[in-house]
Amino acid sequence: MDRSQEITKQEEKNIEKTKKLYEVPPAVDIYENEEEILVYADMPGVVKDDISVDIDNGTLSISGVRKLSVNGSITYEEFSNVEYVRNFSVPQTIDVEKVEAELKNGVLQLHLPKSEAAKPRQIEIKTA
Amino acid sequence: MFTRMSDIDRMFGAMDLLRNRMERLFSDPGRSWLQGSAFRLGSDSPRINIMESGDNFEIQAEVPGISKDELEINVQGNYLQISGKRFVDKPEGYKVHREEIGESTFSRSFTLPNDVDADNVEAALKDGVLYLKLPKSEAEKPKQITIN
Repeated sequence: MDRSQEITKQEEKNIEKTKKLYEVPPAVDIYENEEEILVYADMPGVVKDDISVDIDNGTLSISGVRKLSVNGSITYEEFSNVEYVRNFSVPQTIDVEKVEAELKNGVLQLHLPKSEAAKPRQIEIKTA
Repeated sequence: MFTRMSDIDRMFGAMDLLRNRMERLFSDPGRSWLQGSAFRLGSDSPRINIMESGDNFEIQAEVPGISKDELEINVQGNYLQISGKRFVDKPEGYKVHREEIGESTFSRSFTLPNDVDADNVEAALKDGVLYLKLPKSEAEKPKQITIN
C-alpha cells in the first residue's frame, strides 16, 4: 500500500474526536464610576453552580456551562448547550477581596470595587 | 493525467483527510447559528427550541435579563405567541465602556402542529430561560391501541 494512503487510513481510524461544547463569548456591558467597575454578562440557562469567576494576575475570566434538559425529540432548534467563556484584563487597582458576583435572570452582575488607594482624591490646599 | 487507479484513490484520500481535519476544527459544521449569544445588538428577539413528546410540546426560550412581569404568553388553539421587552438596568452616574447587550421589544409567534390544551399550559422562568410545557388537547393525544 502507498505511503500516503496509509496516512489517510490512520486518520480515519482516529477516534479522539469527542463532541465538544461550543465556547461562546457572552455579550457584556461594562460600566465604571469612581467606586467600582460594573460588568453585566448575559448567560441565559446557566445555573449558579456552573459559573466560575476568577481573577488571576490582572485577568478576570468568567465561564459558565449551559446544560439544557431535553424531553422528547427536538423539532426545531435555535440554541444549544454552550460554554460561555470570556476573559478581560482588569487594572491592578481592583480590590480582589471585595469583588461581588450576582446572578439574576440569567445575567451575571460583577461588582469590581477599586481599592482605596486608587480612588480619586481631592487635595486640600492649605493656606500658609 | 491519471495513469493508474491508485492516483485517483490517493487524490480522494487527500480530500477525505482535509474534510476530517476541517470537521475536527469546527465540531458541528453548518449549525453555527446555535452558538452566539442572545440579545446582541442587532438580534432583538429570543431564540427558541421546540421539543415534542407524545403528550406535550415543550418550548425553551432564551430570555436573559427579563423578569416574568415583562413577558407575555398567549395560547389559542395551535397558535402560540411570546412577547415582551428587554431593557438593561443602566446604573446611574457610570461611564460606559462597552455596551453589547441590546434592548428591544419583541414578539414571536408560532403555529404548532397540533392544538394544545390552553388551560393546562405550564410556564416557568429559570436563570434567564423560559420553559413552557404545552399539553396537546385530548383529541390530539396519541391513543394506545389494544390488539385483540
